[in-house]
Amino acid sequence: MTLKALIFLCLGGIFFFTPTPTQAGVLEDNHCGSCHRLNAEDTNTNPAGPDLHYAGQKFQPQWLKQFLKKPAVIRPGGLTTDPSFLQGTPDNMSPHPSFSEEDTSKLVASLMNLKSVESNFEPVGTEPLSKGQRAKIKYQFERTFGCISCHQSLNLAGKVRGGVSGPSLVNSGNRLQAEWVNHWLQKPEVFISKSRMPRYKLDALTRDQLTQFLMTLKNENIR
Amino acid sequence: MKTSDKMGSIKIPYNNNFLDLFISLTLFFGLVGCGQNSDEQVAPMMKPPLQQEVTTSRPPKPVPTLAKVTESTRNTYQWYCAQCHGTKGKGDGINAKLLTVPPRNHTKAEYMETRTDEQLFEAIKFGGLSVGRAPCMPAWEHTLSEDTINSLVQYIRELCQCEAL
Repeated sequence: MTLKALIFLCLGGIFFFTPTPTQAGVLEDNHCGSCHRLNAEDTNTNPAGPDLHYAGQKFQPQWLKQFLKKPAVIRPGGLTTDPSFLQGTPDNMSPHPSFSEEDTSKLVASLMNLKSVESNFEPVGTEPLSKGQRAKIKYQFERTFGCISCHQSLNLAGKVRGGVSGPSLVNSGNRLQAEWVNHWLQKPEVFISKSRMPRYKLDALTRDQLTQFLMTLKNENIR
Repeated sequence: MKTSDKMGSIKIPYNNNFLDLFISLTLFFGLVGCGQNSDEQVAPMMKPPLQQEVTTSRPPKPVPTLAKVTESTRNTYQWYCAQCHGTKGKGDGINAKLLTVPPRNHTKAEYMETRTDEQLFEAIKFGGLSVGRAPCMPAWEHTLSEDTINSLVQYIRELCQCEAL
């Protein structure tokens, strides 16, 4: 009788805990969770890939689709939370797997549903920057805030330049959502407990213009 | 004269002892009772000291206590500074070769001893431009506390094994 009860409990447990084939299941099926944190409660402090539990608030779906089909390196220096970060060139960094068209569509749909951050993201101005504003904010990006020291960007000649310890911003206009960039600049602690990037106390206008500037950086502008 | 006589004949309802006590209490509470630090309020009323007195009575200039280098200091350097200055402070971090101006080699005593602790502190807190150096070095004023920056200055002194000339 005891054995029967035990078997019943075990089977019941399996039935109870088996995940339903939700969209999150697509990510699990493709083992995304082995390198990325897919929910904010995940206690893995050294994931091999960036957090994805707010992917739906951070990335543009079209970029995600292209990336999953044909992955490109975003962090040439490796992931900043990796204990071996800064210890040398990350030669042994395994490439991100690529996926078929069908899988990509499912994965993108799942990723765009991951929105763990509850803060209200401020809207970013839609009025394009004037030539003067763009020149000024580019100057601040490179010289006042020193962003170029750690992030790759495009210089006036359309050439890639800049440091590699932070993620590349060369294609940030296609990769990221403007509201996420703005929120990151304002409250990075919402997304990461401790970043290697300096904190800045930017006024709303500067933050907005910096966001708009970053959204103009696109691969198609490389010359 | 008559008026004066009349005034002089006015009878004051209080005696002299009571009046003295009233004035004394008014002065006492007026000077002491309004501020938390009575010395600060009384001080302006005092006669300014002569130059002779100043030179003889001024307390010795306090020597700033040097911040200690702890494990936390080293971890902070590795976490933030090593990206450009390298894990051993030799100016060979992973960004180094990609910067227009190479990051400072903190182990090079010949240069580091020409910088004062205050200059190093300002460079970290307000960025390279604030001390007339390259803008590649960002400002860490909103990331690191002044105590942490002070301890980083001392850690840099450890790396160069030098002091300001």
